[in-house]
Amino acid sequence: MRSSATQQGTRKILHHDEHVMGTIVTFDLYDDEPPSTTLWNLLHEAIDVLHQADNVFSTYKAHSPISGLRRGELTLEQCPETVGEVLELCRVARTITGGWFDPWSIPGGVDPTGYVKGWAAQRSLDVLRRSGIRGALVNAAGDTASFGGPQHDVAFRIGIVDPADTQHLACVVETPGAVATSGVYERGGHLIDPHTGLPTSRAASATVTGTDLGLADALATALAVAGVPALPLVEELDEFEALIIDDDGNFSATAGFPFARTPSTTPG
Amino acid sequence: MKRAHIVVAGTVVGLAGLLSFNSTAVQLSLGSLSAVTAPARSTTTTTLAPTTTSVPRTSGSTPPTTTRVVPTTTTTAAPSVARSATGTATNYSYGILAVKVTVSGSTITNVSIASINDGGNPRSEYIDQQSIPQLEQQALSAQSANIQGVSGASFTTAGFEQSLQSALSKLGL
Repeated sequence: MRSSATQQGTRKILHHDEHVMGTIVTFDLYDDEPPSTTLWNLLHEAIDVLHQADNVFSTYKAHSPISGLRRGELTLEQCPETVGEVLELCRVARTITGGWFDPWSIPGGVDPTGYVKGWAAQRSLDVLRRSGIRGALVNAAGDTASFGGPQHDVAFRIGIVDPADTQHLACVVETPGAVATSGVYERGGHLIDPHTGLPTSRAASATVTGTDLGLADALATALAVAGVPALPLVEELDEFEALIIDDDGNFSATAGFPFARTPSTTPG
Repeated sequence: MKRAHIVVAGTVVGLAGLLSFNSTAVQLSLGSLSAVTAPARSTTTTTLAPTTTSVPRTSGSTPPTTTRVVPTTTTTAAPSVARSATGTATNYSYGILAVKVTVSGSTITNVSIASINDGGNPRSEYIDQQSIPQLEQQALSAQSANIQGVSGASFTTAGFEQSLQSALSKLGL
C-alpha cells in the first residue's frame, strides 16, 4: 500500500448518527478535504429529508398524513405529493415482485413503511451527491445507500450479517449503490405473507443489491417472504442482484451478485 | 489441508470481514492498514481523539445524536516503536479465533491470527466455495477485511471486531 498516498488522499472525513424513523441512520462521508461549510449544510438537508419522510409516512404518528390516509380522514390529494409518489413506487414494486411485496395487503390499511426507509435514505444520499465529495454511505438500520467509495475507484464493501449469528458476517459485497437485507432474525415476525395475511418467512435472510435502495428494500422483503423460488424475479432486473441465506446457512444467489472476491486495490 | 475461515475485523473504522485461508500459519499482510491510525469509532481516544461536534441546525427538528469530524492522520507524529498484543479469543461464525495485532506507534502494521478453531464446520467450506474463492490465492490483504458498513435485517451493532478491538485496547489504542 502507498501509505503516503492514502494519508493524503481520500479518507473518512465525517461520521454522523441520526435517531429517526424509529431507528438510527448513520452517515459516513469520504473526501480528500476536511468537511466544508457547504458539506455541513448539505448534511443538514440530508438529515431533514429523513425527518420529513418520518413526519409524513410514520404509521406510529397519529397526525401523520399516512395515518390520516389509512383512517380514511384524508384523500390522497390532500396528502403531500410524496405520498402519491411513494405509493406509485410501491405499486411498481408490487408488480415486479408478483405481489410478494404488497403494502396493501397488510391489515389496517396501506402501509408503505417497507418502502419508505430505503426510499428516504436514497433521497437523503442524493442530497449529499450534490456536494461533489468522493463518497458517501448512508446506513439506515442495516440498509445502505451510497455513491463513490472510501477511496478513488474503490467500491464500498458491505458485510452481510450472518442470520444464524448476527454478531458475524456471512459474506461481503461490493455495493453498486444500494444494499438491503430483510429477514426475521432480529425483530421477529415482522414480515407478512401478502397471500395469507399471516407472519411468515421462507428465508433466514434476503439481501438485494442495486441502484436504488427503495426498490432494493422492497425486493429484499419480497424474497424474505417468498424464498428461493422468487429469485428469478430479481434475475430479470438488470441492475439488481439477490442473495438468499436459508435456515441451514445455504447460499442461493443470482448470477451477478457482487460478492467481494478480490482485494480491490492490492498492488502487484 | 485444513480449511478454515476467519473473521478478522475491527480495523480503524470498525471494519470487519470474512477471510478464508488454507493454513493456520498464514500471516495476514494488512498493508492498507498501515496508512491508518487509531480506530475512528474508538471511544477511548488518545491524541487522535475524534472531535465531537454539534451540527448547527437550521430547523427545529430532533437534534442529531452524535457527529464527529474524523481527525486527519497528520496531526500526530506517532512514535515508531513496534508493539503487539493478542486479543481475546472470540467466537466467530465457524468457531473461535484470536487476533494478534502489531502496531508502530498508533499505526497498525500487521494483523495475524494467533489461534483459530473452526471445529470442522461444514458451512465454512460452503461459504468458501460460494463467496470468497479467490482469497486463498491472494495475500489476504487488508481489503479483504476492510468493510465500510454492515447490512442486516435490522440495526446490528458490529460485534465482529471484538478480538482485534481488545488487542488494540491492550495497546492503548
